[in-house]
Amino acid sequence: MAILEIKNVSKFFGGLAANSNVSFSVEEGTIMGLIGPNGAGKTTLFNCITGYYPPSKGEVVFDGRRMNGLDPDKVCMLGMVRTWQKVRPLAKLSVVDNVMVGALARTSSLKVARELAMEQIKVVRMEHRADFIAGGLPIGERKKLEVARALATQPKLLLLDEVMGGLNPAESEEIIQLILDIKQRGLTQMVIEHDMKAIMRISDRIVVLTSGEKLTEGSPQEVVSNPEVISAYLGEAHA
Amino acid sequence: MDKTILKAIAILAVLGGLLAIPRFVDSPYALHMMILLFMSVMMGQSWNILGGYAGQHSVGHAAYFGVGAYTTMMLMHTKQIAPWIGVWAGIALVVVVALIIGSICFRLRGPYFVLASIAVAEILRLSAINLTTLTNGAEGILATELPPFKVGGAIITDFATKVPFYYIGLFLVVLTVGVTYLVQHSKLGYFFQAIREDQDAAHSLGISISLYKNIALVLSAVLTSLAGSFYGIYVGFVDPPTVLGLDVSVQIMLICIIGGMGTLWGPVLGSLVLVPLSEALRSNMITEALVKIGLVSPESKIGIFLKENLSHAHVLLYGILVVVVILFMPDGLMGFIKKLAKRRKQEAV
Repeated sequence: MAILEIKNVSKFFGGLAANSNVSFSVEEGTIMGLIGPNGAGKTTLFNCITGYYPPSKGEVVFDGRRMNGLDPDKVCMLGMVRTWQKVRPLAKLSVVDNVMVGALARTSSLKVARELAMEQIKVVRMEHRADFIAGGLPIGERKKLEVARALATQPKLLLLDEVMGGLNPAESEEIIQLILDIKQRGLTQMVIEHDMKAIMRISDRIVVLTSGEKLTEGSPQEVVSNPEVISAYLGEAHA
Repeated sequence: MDKTILKAIAILAVLGGLLAIPRFVDSPYALHMMILLFMSVMMGQSWNILGGYAGQHSVGHAAYFGVGAYTTMMLMHTKQIAPWIGVWAGIALVVVVALIIGSICFRLRGPYFVLASIAVAEILRLSAINLTTLTNGAEGILATELPPFKVGGAIITDFATKVPFYYIGLFLVVLTVGVTYLVQHSKLGYFFQAIREDQDAAHSLGISISLYKNIALVLSAVLTSLAGSFYGIYVGFVDPPTVLGLDVSVQIMLICIIGGMGTLWGPVLGSLVLVPLSEALRSNMITEALVKIGLVSPESKIGIFLKENLSHAHVLLYGILVVVVILFMPDGLMGFIKKLAKRRKQEAV
């Protein structure tokens, strides 16, 4: 069953079409990869899905419900949560307090929220950092903190915007394992990523965007052997 | 857990001491200073909820202070309504004013919010000057005759001395600090701080930005209006510049900035610094002290200059103080103390 359906979504900024007529759907329990060259409109699409921008045209249907025009907080409460390409830790708060803010979306008790937060901190293996101030963490751990905080809101669909950007190979490997762990728990994910090797390993299906439009969609093998994708990434000579 | 018990004991001891002071201190001046201190703590702490925790740096808190002060005073002056009843009208009005201001200003972020908050307070100040039939304009409202406070026919106090004001002030301080404590230790505090640290991230985590900003504003405005009403009945006089002026807004903020924004005890520390300082400057105490220790002679040019000008210097000194705090203690006195404590701990290890 499709948990998320994107139907002909377009987003215009003045005359510029950041997304035009993008359609695809994400099946429950799977990982959907979203790739494309810089400026292809991946993050804009995330913003349209999660309520930061209203789509100019088209529809976003999540869990059978039309999401257009809902604010980001409502989107989160309905079970869809995102992380940020440029990490946004609550810098002056400790790691556990950061994750608690996420957990408080579902409970009003600080005690329960703290327990929920510690659970998610364990999922990303940062127990030893629980009392650290978030602003002082290295980038790899900030990225993991984003994931823990998002998970704490108990989503049905997790949208990860370049969680591996700027990480070294060992850290990226850790995140890949984390994403696969999360999949094991039955959570649906949509992942924007630049690292082709990583996206090939984790995705069940991949959507390729270029210049705001959907180029193709398919299994990872289908996508990498598609001449159009190769030409979009490497230039026509290689296709 | 030992530490929290120690803290609780220390707070109770200080509170007990404060409750006992009027029994041992007769000097009206000393009580007056304490009342000023209480007022300052209330003002700073109220601002702290919105500015310190939720990160919305309002420079227009005079609006709420003034609306509280004016409502209570106007009702007492024209309708002979006792201030402890009038204060509720002030609160109700301030909630309405705050929600209107919030719906306008919270569309803006950062410096634009600051400018809008100043503008709204100035609109209220100019209205108070010009709506002469309602507010008596620039002349202000003088109402020093307080009706006696009765419970079931028995007169509890007739407000002849400063003692009842002292206890009212102390009660209001406990109330504001208590409210802040509750905010800090609840979902509200977490959401306010999340909005302060990163509004977009907070939004993505299910926090309704406009709802929680408005909750912070209403809490802050209600407590500020209480401080305003208290000021009105204590001083017995309100006019537009003293309760609605921009310098009131700035003073409210300074208490917090100097003491430490977003901390429970910051506004208390800030008041402990600012109130004695401004009083010392205003009353020529410093010049007299310098004369007494023989550093300057009262007839010398410097002595005369200081005596004539130092009393106007408190604004200048505030400015210097803010610069020093921002340069050397960006998290205020509270942050500075925490840093020192941390360093000592590390050295001990």
